[in-house]
Amino acid sequence: MTAVQFLQNFLNGISIGSVYAIFALGYTLVFSILGIINFAHGAVFTLGAYLTYSLAVGQFGIGGLFADLQLPFHFSFPFALLTGSILSGFAGVLVERCAFRPLRKRGADPLLALVSSLGVALVTVNVLQYLVGSEIYSFPSDVYGDIRPAFVLHFGEKLVVIRTVQIIIFSVCMVVLALLGYLIGWTRIGKALRAVAENAATASLLGINVDRFILYTFFLSGFLGGLAGSLVGTSFGIAGPYFGVSYGLKGLAVIVMGGLGSIPGAVLGGMVIGLAEAFVPSEYSAYKEAVAFAFLFAALLIRPQGLLGRSHIQKV
Amino acid sequence: MRKLGGITLLLTLCAGTVYAENVAPPIPVGIAVAQTSNVALFGQEQIIGAKIAETYFNIKKGVNGTPIKLVTQDTGGDEAGAINAVQNLISKEKVVGIVGPTLSQQAFGADPIANRLQVPVIGPSNTAKGVPQIGEYIGRVSAPVAKVAPYAVKQALKQNQKIKRVAILYAQNDAFSSSETVTFQETVKNMKLETVTVQKFMTTDTDFTTQATAVLNANVDLVIVSGLAADGGNLVKQLRQLGYKGIVIGGNGFNTANVFSVCGSNCDGILVAQAYSPEADNPTNKAFVAAYRAAYKKDPPQFSAQAFTAVQVFVEGLRKVEAATKKKITQLDLATVRTELNKALRKGSYITPLGEISLDKEGDINQKTFYVSQIKMDSAGKVGKFVIVK
Amino acid sequence: MEGFLQNYGFLLVTLVQQALLALSLYFPFMAGQLSLASPGFYALGGYIAAIMATVDSCASLRNALGWTIFPLEWLVAALVSGILALIVGIPSLRLRGIYLALGTIAFVEILRVLFLNLDITGGAIGIFDIPQLFEERWSYILIFGPLLVVVLLFIHRLQHSRTGRAFKAIREDELAAGAMGINPTYYKVQAFVIGAVLAGIVGAMSAPLLNTWNARQGTFDASVSYLAYVLIGGSRSLWGPLLGAALLAALPELLRPLRDARLIMNGLVLVVASIYLPHGIVGALSRLWSFFSTPSAARGGE
Repeated sequence: MTAVQFLQNFLNGISIGSVYAIFALGYTLVFSILGIINFAHGAVFTLGAYLTYSLAVGQFGIGGLFADLQLPFHFSFPFALLTGSILSGFAGVLVERCAFRPLRKRGADPLLALVSSLGVALVTVNVLQYLVGSEIYSFPSDVYGDIRPAFVLHFGEKLVVIRTVQIIIFSVCMVVLALLGYLIGWTRIGKALRAVAENAATASLLGINVDRFILYTFFLSGFLGGLAGSLVGTSFGIAGPYFGVSYGLKGLAVIVMGGLGSIPGAVLGGMVIGLAEAFVPSEYSAYKEAVAFAFLFAALLIRPQGLLGRSHIQKV
Repeated sequence: MRKLGGITLLLTLCAGTVYAENVAPPIPVGIAVAQTSNVALFGQEQIIGAKIAETYFNIKKGVNGTPIKLVTQDTGGDEAGAINAVQNLISKEKVVGIVGPTLSQQAFGADPIANRLQVPVIGPSNTAKGVPQIGEYIGRVSAPVAKVAPYAVKQALKQNQKIKRVAILYAQNDAFSSSETVTFQETVKNMKLETVTVQKFMTTDTDFTTQATAVLNANVDLVIVSGLAADGGNLVKQLRQLGYKGIVIGGNGFNTANVFSVCGSNCDGILVAQAYSPEADNPTNKAFVAAYRAAYKKDPPQFSAQAFTAVQVFVEGLRKVEAATKKKITQLDLATVRTELNKALRKGSYITPLGEISLDKEGDINQKTFYVSQIKMDSAGKVGKFVIVK
Repeated sequence: MEGFLQNYGFLLVTLVQQALLALSLYFPFMAGQLSLASPGFYALGGYIAAIMATVDSCASLRNALGWTIFPLEWLVAALVSGILALIVGIPSLRLRGIYLALGTIAFVEILRVLFLNLDITGGAIGIFDIPQLFEERWSYILIFGPLLVVVLLFIHRLQHSRTGRAFKAIREDELAAGAMGINPTYYKVQAFVIGAVLAGIVGAMSAPLLNTWNARQGTFDASVSYLAYVLIGGSRSLWGPLLGAALLAALPELLRPLRDARLIMNGLVLVVASIYLPHGIVGALSRLWSFFSTPSAARGGE
């Protein structure tokens, strides 16, 4: 591999890796607090993409209840992205209310939360299909405004090319990560969240309203999921209500890689898997889909606590 | 005990219903396509096409005065769903014939059932090798575009005689694309062009930077993509954004207006191998296109046209049965209608939206005309059109 | 009768088949392990049967064996699944908790990508025109039915054996079981392998049932369904997975009249059932039973 190829793969990898990172963070936040994997996270990803699309473009196609609908408003992309992600955050809260809280209150087997969250995912995906059909929705190419679609760097004979979308995705993810890091590391809410994650019973003895912080967590998780979905949607279009499924599964690989419940781990895991996929030689691109899962497996064999996880995790 | 009671109830409800009984008007024609799951994108288009056909032919007096009625059953995206849907249509809905299922894989699962029960099936979109050979009751109106691939490549050479180096890309998890690419690869070889790189992708992929950069660095002057609208369109978009300037050929999966919204202005100039063109010049197609445009304000996609054609083949087949037996369909018992219909389907030719077609002995389509079109996008990159190139 | 079998014969066979797959998940559950690997072994078993039944190099074997090729297919599927389960199970079962679930999700996905890419598995189209054991779909109950009976008897005996008690001890408290001299990894792997073998056999039997086999047979969606069967049916009794599979697999068919809204309902049922039936249907039924069978005086003292 030449240095130029290396650079190209590296750039591709960190762009998609950053999306994996913020998406997987949504899983990790919930896991760190409840010790449960929220299987509806992939559906929130999908929902976020559709919400942002509705706000930014709002033109629907031939299928579903919204057939031929043109929403009477459309907003600038940054506003749509932010609003879409916030609405996804509320969707996350709704997921908690429907699939998690009732079970928690009954002290039910935590495994049941897997089924109930999968049920919520099934409902979300199929309601989306019912409303907007299963066709492809794409953002117009000028969604970011009037900027060039790609940058080409010449290195002698060879080229390194970057799509503008990739730069935007990477930058947005970095900004969000920085904000999240600040929120969790340096604010009162963050400290309380960490206390709840450490030990919910003790936190509630300390006067922290645990339920409220669980809601905050789901809001953040939904926000991140919706944001990731919207970014992927603008870059590649929304390929129907099922397009979040493969991200949902890859996200699991990311969090195991990084260490279940570890926030920096999720970021690192996302980057590692994004890069690993980008470095799959193109002859073997058919196997790219399996890379994340091969990593998951390898992590289980070699370092089950993940790259940055603590070794004593026992939650189910 | 309660359970047993339920079963007995079901038994009495369903028993003894398959025996000699006449077809009740309106004549039920089954549609078994995917309305749920990730295959629903195609199923939706097929339902639309079939419904337009139902209205169109019922206005034209249906089967010599007896109207037809479509009965739809969702197959979902899997084989078990397709088998259930087909069995439902056959034994509960008592259809005379079935249009479906959507995927070739589902056809391999469900068609043998219909064949055993001697119910004619017309596949509207099954292009894999071996589908008509499932049995004597199985046919299709979807041609494997093996024939059209060479034309598309010739057309590309016409536009640029200097083409030497070719990159071929295909969606390896899509049954149609992975067999179409074989034809393209053979054509390229036969035309003495050099295939520099073959890249695979998945229909579920969204990021094609790896494939696109490999193509760019291979320095090719023709790119051939076999994929579906979402993935194929994205691939072309990313390829163009990254600076590829040469000619692009899209396989038959690109033959849908869905692709316009995916790649926008970057779709412009793609040569598309088509089994159906809205520009096809015959009265049935004109009526079909007009009806579709009136409802959806755009040109109909191939899947809708093929579903329309499948229904049409059944309607005309039923008319032939009446002509041959000199009886109304409603005077015949169901089993006879099904076998006679199956025989009638394979006789004569049909003027359909796909042009003039006939079914051969095995039930495979003989399609006279294929098209190579070039996509033209408007300056805003929003509205597109397939323009036939000759 | 014939009409009923025409209409519902295939569905009936599917229900038994799904119940068997639910039971394949129930084995690891008996030892307290959440495995989602069944669809992978199911797909593998199906491919083995489909390949043995169609490739030319097996033609002479097929001619020599006649219909007995089918049991041979099941046997090969069982063996291969078992060996693969050992290879996958030993490393992932050293760990406790959610890791096995995640590891098996990865396993299923890796297998899927492999099946999609190998030549022998027929790529995206898969393998079709698989020779039939029976003419009619409902006749397949003649192989799935006995298998179900055998498996139920096996579980019944297992529960009262030394191994079964070890499973239970691990399920209740793995650390304590270890302290009692039970080797948890050994028994966990055993439970996982039995489940895998069952899933492999069911796959091998299902290839002719579906006429065709392809890489879409073993997916994450299927994993989810089987998990739901077990949890909603009730994971503490062998009747749970059975009942769960019968009800949930029939649901989409029963909901056919709802057309494109039927999967929405399906999802709602999952949510509502997991909230209101935390011990599964069987758990709820047995509570109801004990409620009515306990004299009211005794209940008063509660």
